[in-house]
Amino acid sequence: MNVFSFDHFGHLFYRLNAANWFSLSAPPKDISTNGHLIDYLFNYTSYLNIFYFLLVCIGLFGFSYIYSAKRNKKAYYTYGNQKTHLIITAVIGAAVFLSIDLNITRLSNNDLLNSFWKWPDPKTEKVLKVEVMAQQWMWSFRYAGPDGEFNTKDDVVTNNDLRVPVNTKILFHLTSKDVIHSFFVPNVRLKVDTIPGRITRVWWDANTPGVYDIACAEMCGTHHYLMKAQLTVYSEEEFARWVGAAEQVAMNTNDPEDKNLQWGWKWEN
Amino acid sequence: MNEARKTQHTLAMTIALISWAMLFATLFMGYAIYRSSANVWPPMGFARISLVLPTISTILILISSWFCYQMKLDINRGQVAPAQKNLNLTLALGFAFLVTQTLLWRNMNHSGVYVSSGIFASIMHAFTWIHAAHVLAALVFLVYLYFQFKRHAGNADALWMKTENGEKFWHFLGIIWILMYFILFVF
Amino acid sequence: MSGGFNEIHQEPTTFISKYVFSFDHKVIAKQFLWYGILFLGIGGIMALLIRWTLAYPGQPFPVLGPLLFPDSAGVVPPDTYAMLFTMHGTIMIFYAITPILIGAFGNYCIPLMIGARDMAFPTLNMLSFWLALVSGLLVIVSLFTPLGAAAGGWTSYPTLSTMIGSPGSGQTLWCLAIFVLGASSTMGAVNYITTVITLRAPGMGYFDMPLTIWGLWLTAILNAIFIPVLGAGVILLTLDRVAGTTFFLAGAAATSGSGDPVLFQHVFWIFGHPEVYILILPAWGIVSDLLSFFARKPAFGAKATALAMTAVTVLSTLVYGHHMFTTQMSPLLTQSFMTLTMTISIPSAIFFANWLGTIWKGSIRFHSPMLFSLGVVFVFGLGGLTGLYLGTVTTDLYLHDTYFVVGHFHYTMAASVLLGGFAGTYFWFPKMFGKMMNECMAKIHFWGTMIPLNGIFFGMMMVGYGGMHRRIYNPFIYESLRRLIPINEMITISAILMGAFQIVFVINFIYSLCKGEKASQNPWEVGTLEWTIPSPPVHHNYDVIPTVKCGPHEFGNPKLTNGRDFQYQTEDLVV
Repeated sequence: MNVFSFDHFGHLFYRLNAANWFSLSAPPKDISTNGHLIDYLFNYTSYLNIFYFLLVCIGLFGFSYIYSAKRNKKAYYTYGNQKTHLIITAVIGAAVFLSIDLNITRLSNNDLLNSFWKWPDPKTEKVLKVEVMAQQWMWSFRYAGPDGEFNTKDDVVTNNDLRVPVNTKILFHLTSKDVIHSFFVPNVRLKVDTIPGRITRVWWDANTPGVYDIACAEMCGTHHYLMKAQLTVYSEEEFARWVGAAEQVAMNTNDPEDKNLQWGWKWEN
Repeated sequence: MNEARKTQHTLAMTIALISWAMLFATLFMGYAIYRSSANVWPPMGFARISLVLPTISTILILISSWFCYQMKLDINRGQVAPAQKNLNLTLALGFAFLVTQTLLWRNMNHSGVYVSSGIFASIMHAFTWIHAAHVLAALVFLVYLYFQFKRHAGNADALWMKTENGEKFWHFLGIIWILMYFILFVF
Repeated sequence: MSGGFNEIHQEPTTFISKYVFSFDHKVIAKQFLWYGILFLGIGGIMALLIRWTLAYPGQPFPVLGPLLFPDSAGVVPPDTYAMLFTMHGTIMIFYAITPILIGAFGNYCIPLMIGARDMAFPTLNMLSFWLALVSGLLVIVSLFTPLGAAAGGWTSYPTLSTMIGSPGSGQTLWCLAIFVLGASSTMGAVNYITTVITLRAPGMGYFDMPLTIWGLWLTAILNAIFIPVLGAGVILLTLDRVAGTTFFLAGAAATSGSGDPVLFQHVFWIFGHPEVYILILPAWGIVSDLLSFFARKPAFGAKATALAMTAVTVLSTLVYGHHMFTTQMSPLLTQSFMTLTMTISIPSAIFFANWLGTIWKGSIRFHSPMLFSLGVVFVFGLGGLTGLYLGTVTTDLYLHDTYFVVGHFHYTMAASVLLGGFAGTYFWFPKMFGKMMNECMAKIHFWGTMIPLNGIFFGMMMVGYGGMHRRIYNPFIYESLRRLIPINEMITISAILMGAFQIVFVINFIYSLCKGEKASQNPWEVGTLEWTIPSPPVHHNYDVIPTVKCGPHEFGNPKLTNGRDFQYQTEDLVV
């Protein structure tokens, strides 16, 4: 596949227009319930940053213009005195602390506690459990199958192909076979490292059916860039149909003696 | 030797030892993490390492430190000849320490604790190797000092800096070993 | 403890003792400068190869490509690509910035600016350079090993960097090189700290030191404390590779034992986060001084700036965990690291205010060192502020390991440090070599660096926000990233432009060295100690050790009567 056959968005004007670039670099479509929290915090931080950076620029360019040696022959002799320093330090410290530290940290903490770290409980709500095994350079996914137990004969195992139902919380437990990888789903704004010898976890839900990318975000060797999986978000009926068929196939073809297939582990909450 | 120059040397050696301490502190931090995350220690059914050889090592390095300290006092008093004697004893005990370390490694191998048999063995071998490598380097320096003592037999002042720094480094290695003894072997 | 032992060393007479195995801090500084510039060139070409691959995947690299990669008709192969970004990072951080900012400016400025005849330990100083050279050779050799150089990223996370992921000897050589360089840096640091404490000229208190020295001194302190931490990390990694230990091995692919790969990340970032400040502190110091020197006005709140830099130094040791949010540390650790990281913005804001306060109501002379210093304020502003997204846990979960991170740390570590380094080079070149650099070429160089630089690094942040992750050979196998091709192309064109304008610098440097206008003793009309002696200084710097009577930033005092608008640090303060 030659990327150069891909049309670079038409004519030169489009490519020279910075506004178009900003729209190009918008993050991919958010398909999750909680992704907007991250987008919101990003934008919030951006406004703060633009404000503070404008202050710096006004000082930098304004002073450079007004007080250039051409316009201002004689510099004003001041060290600032102890009192001004204290005031400036206190004001800037307070402004920065209140507007940035307290706010962003508070927002982020709230998001973590109320959403991202609010782990769904399979006992009380509908949760799809998936085990993920990363290895050079492939993602393997394991669904528990009808018995609800992992690493049994009826497990549905897919490679580089994750299919989930819409509007259902999906809880992933992840590990790695060889080196550290990172499970990155740009459309839900989340990533988590998969680490050999450890189990990490992440949960999200998708609210828009469609086909999306899953990437490995942590350098994992020469073919790191090829470590790509496909995420398919089905409607609930479609998912039920697919998973039912896949379970049938699994029951018929899964070989319990096959060591390579038995990479799963007992699910622990 | 000029007092200001002495201050410089003392200061620089102190900073250098802080750096070295950070290296060993990192190792101990790693040990703390491995140990606290393991359910049982030693893990994987290994037995504890017998304390006999490490204890002998500890005694050897403690005594050598004492002789090393005497050596420095002699140099400060301007007496090279007794310093030479104390240096010889330090050297002998230092080499004896290395011998007991070698025996310790052999012992560990005999009881099945090979370098490659898991994290416990890795720690026991590698940490003592790293310490022993420093001891070896220090001994090479002390041997050099031995010849310097011969050369400047009548001039303790010329030997002040090397003696002082060598002595500090030797004590430092002694302290690290005692920490290792208690943290890795006893505790 | 100032005014310590300060003997005059015999001036060397032979070529070898004068230029090769020299004890003279000025010569060692120049050795480090050449060494750094050489590696800067190598690292820069690697950057261009990386950029070319990202914008034009599958296209042969022009001119050099067919020579370097004959097997693939000039196209960078994927395994080479991994080596390129690994070695680009390693070389730029450890072999370009460190020797230039710390090795060259540290060696050159510290004794001269505090009124000393040499470093406290000239032999240690020489040894530090020669160890750095050995380390540099190891790195060069590692490029030519059978399986190629290290390819696990400059962070070398295990288990990718153990035998499981990198069987070649390149990674082992990388570990050795970093260890040897660490030894060299620690020697330098011990020397710098001792020199600043004991050899300040009589009368020079800590707050009479130029801020350049403050920056270098704090850097040396961080170096002395944290380089050994990395040293311990790479020793263990090396043992895992060659001796069969299992410190960082885990998982199904590790045949024996179970260690903990994440421990290396902790160790690496305990060192790695201070390292970021190790690199930037000298640049901050230089900029803080130069802004005052060229605004002809005392540095606003110099003491507050020095203390703010110290505060950042201290805080930098406590925040490393924000590099590891995606490894799922305990929630408590995660939240603590986020909060601690955010507090760095307070001291940073203070010295930004002081920088602007310094040029406020000044009489600014836009010589090249000043342009570069103002450039640092601009790019570090951008770099610092964009750090907020990455210190915040939730936004970091999206942005971690994307090009946004790459853009951010290049703004802070590469752009700011590079511009600061150029500012220093243009500023001290007359003192170092006794010649002036060509001002016109310098200004072309400034704009030719500054404009594409923002194109590169802002572009990187844009593609990163667009979802493009790091260290991938061909991003466009992802359908969703194809829309970023035009921006990637813009970044690459900017990079080529910026690379091309560095040729102006090299020409200027060499031309000025040979044919530059002779520099006077004090071409910039600045009052710090190094400008009270001839350019270039004599072997022992000061015939008589100067006595310091006022601060380094005495400009524009209306009571000055001698026709100058500044006074030397050796003169009594006019009141």
